[in-house]
Amino acid sequence: MMKRTLDWVDERVDLSGLREFIAHKRVPIHTQEIWYYLGGMTLFLFGVQVVTGILLLLYYRPSATEAYESVQFIVSQVEFGWLIRNMHSWSANLLVGLAFAHFISVFLLKSYRKPRELTWLSGILLLFLMLGFGFSGYLLPWNELSFFATKVGTGIAGSVPLIGKFLLRLLRGGDDVTGATLSRFYAVHVAMLPALATVLVVVHLLLVQRQGMSVPLKLERRVKEGQPLKEMKFFPNYVLRDVLAWYVVLAVLAALAAFYPWELGHKADPFAPVPAGIRPEWYFLAMFHTLKLLPSHILGIEGEHVGVIAFGLLGAFLVMVPFLDRRASRGERSPIFTAIAILGLAYLIVFTIIGRYAN
Amino acid sequence: MRIRKRPGVGVRMVRLLLMAAAVIGGAAATARAQAQPRANACLTCHGGLAEARLSAPATLFSGEDIHRNSGFACADCHGGNPETRDAAMAHDRGRGFRGAPRASEQIAVCARCHSDPDLMRRYAPRQRVDQAAEYATSVHGKQLASGDSRVATCASCHGAHGIRVVRDAKSPVFPTNVAATCASCHANAAHMTGYKLPDGKPLPTQQLADYQKSVHYAALTTGGDLSAPTCNDCHGNHGAVPPGVGSVANVCGTCHAVFAQKFATSVHAEIFDKGCVECHSNHAVLKPSDKMLGAGEGTVCATCHSGADDKGAIAATAMRSGLDRLTDALKKSTDVIDRVGNAGIEVSAEELKLADARNHLTLARTEMHAFNPAVVEPVIQSGLTIIGDVDNAGQRAGNELSFRRRGLALSLAAILFFVAALWLKIRQIEKTER
Repeated sequence: MMKRTLDWVDERVDLSGLREFIAHKRVPIHTQEIWYYLGGMTLFLFGVQVVTGILLLLYYRPSATEAYESVQFIVSQVEFGWLIRNMHSWSANLLVGLAFAHFISVFLLKSYRKPRELTWLSGILLLFLMLGFGFSGYLLPWNELSFFATKVGTGIAGSVPLIGKFLLRLLRGGDDVTGATLSRFYAVHVAMLPALATVLVVVHLLLVQRQGMSVPLKLERRVKEGQPLKEMKFFPNYVLRDVLAWYVVLAVLAALAAFYPWELGHKADPFAPVPAGIRPEWYFLAMFHTLKLLPSHILGIEGEHVGVIAFGLLGAFLVMVPFLDRRASRGERSPIFTAIAILGLAYLIVFTIIGRYAN
Repeated sequence: MRIRKRPGVGVRMVRLLLMAAAVIGGAAATARAQAQPRANACLTCHGGLAEARLSAPATLFSGEDIHRNSGFACADCHGGNPETRDAAMAHDRGRGFRGAPRASEQIAVCARCHSDPDLMRRYAPRQRVDQAAEYATSVHGKQLASGDSRVATCASCHGAHGIRVVRDAKSPVFPTNVAATCASCHANAAHMTGYKLPDGKPLPTQQLADYQKSVHYAALTTGGDLSAPTCNDCHGNHGAVPPGVGSVANVCGTCHAVFAQKFATSVHAEIFDKGCVECHSNHAVLKPSDKMLGAGEGTVCATCHSGADDKGAIAATAMRSGLDRLTDALKKSTDVIDRVGNAGIEVSAEELKLADARNHLTLARTEMHAFNPAVVEPVIQSGLTIIGDVDNAGQRAGNELSFRRRGLALSLAAILFFVAALWLKIRQIEKTER
């Protein structure tokens, strides 16, 4: 049946080129190949987000008066609504976590080096988009925690020098977090970001397929010296391993969704006092805590402004890494960038933990 | 007869505007005159005196003082000539100098303004002007009239200089400071020596210590509830008199209206000499608990009611039993709903019902003050019915939870089976390739 269907399509579209590509595509085998699967796992979770997100859209109502109640309805009345919502929330967090891990592994393996600069660019933009998904989606249940966390988060955006006020009003749809903020966060979360992310995912995958998997610098030098590169077939060997990794992620996701349900909390009340312990999602904690620790003024400039500028520059640096690390592009070791990656990772871990337990 | 020509509309408008300007300008000038302190050489001289008794009033009056802020000067109370620095001329009795008013004179000095409605309307139109009349009816006022100069007069509570408005948190008569102000005399055993209760016993001095143990004190201080009662809320302030034994329930009922209403219908209303105080004490009103009710050891009812045939003991036991049943059922049900709620089941409807059941418990505790089990029991039953519904919902939620976990276990098993199968397939493919 499968063969007949493929023959029917082949007769009309001519899949011989694709078949040829798949039959001859090889994936390198080496000690670091385990990191290759992180990208696939992230992609799988992106798919889970799309599917569960569409199912949630069937019942979700994006207004300040109905958002919380509609999520409450989903988790209490809709058949398996609780599972879909829990999977969407947990999958979002796992997705950001795996995307970070993928980013760090690519950084440490210097896989961004020539000729894969565009793959890195599309990947880093995708990582920023995932953070945007997290930030915009957090407000949608319109509960107490998300309301005040969004107030704090958009307030930080308001600290951007020169355009802060404009940015704050653009994000909030006014001076304060209201139903207008919810409407635009919804539009961003379910239309703008998915459209951008889909384009970038396609570009990222096409580039990966076109250029093949990068190998570590040391291995690349050995290959250049004539040592043979061990490889496996992309199909079925690598694809099956990828699918196996997806299933492991699915198992973890299902266990988390069932045993650690995502709390809905209380409905947001703009007139209520700010509850104690308001903090953003874990992936913004390091940044949030850093801004909290900054003194009120640094060299005569407001501390928060300095922090926001510094994070902006850090983002720009990450985008530019393939063009700054000239040694890696020449196939040489670049210990400075390795040190930057390790220090950055240590900073993220330490400040996230401190931010989590700080008063 | 000459007929005076009526001026035109324009002329009339100009006149009207000029008159309005004159009135507004005059009022503003008066207000400025009132607000600005007049010449006051008293402060200049007294502020520099070495003797604290004489300099302290000047220092205090120069600081935050409602009278100084309103434009009054030393001479308005003490008389004399405030425009000269010559001590003899300033303290000239011929110019009305009266020095520091004695206790017996203080009321009259303050009342000159504070009992004058026309004057007070210009400064504090909402303030009462019957304080002096009220004071005359108080124990303090009567004692003063009988020649006792140790009793509290205006300055004892409000201060003489540096007087702050009552709503100022630093005022000695601000709600949180009232107890300490009263206690400055009433907790001073030496000062209170000689004062007696109507029954001839010495007037106790532990009221502040007792009050500090009470729920009222906790609500006022740690709870920050400025409406919580302090001394003057039960005893009155200017007309301070201990509530008569028969009127205690009325005094408590000013806040605890429903309890007072229920109590008034009870058999105890006529029997209890001290009303509410019989069970709850007066100054040391502790947090009430269900443990006060019943005929067992440690209960308040057991003080009077004991024995298996005692009707009061039977009624108290029945009411306590009802309250205990509702409390226990509420706790168990709350635990179940918390557990399933924490496990991700939506329980907001059940939480609302539990809140309703808690209201029934509060209502039953209120009804209990009628000391009639027949009134309390229906409320208990109604609360238990609500909890029964919640328990059923909790049971269903528990079943749903088990279903979810069983479903997850099966899904996980299927996923792991598939993972194992995939792994074997990969190995098989790679073995064949080798």
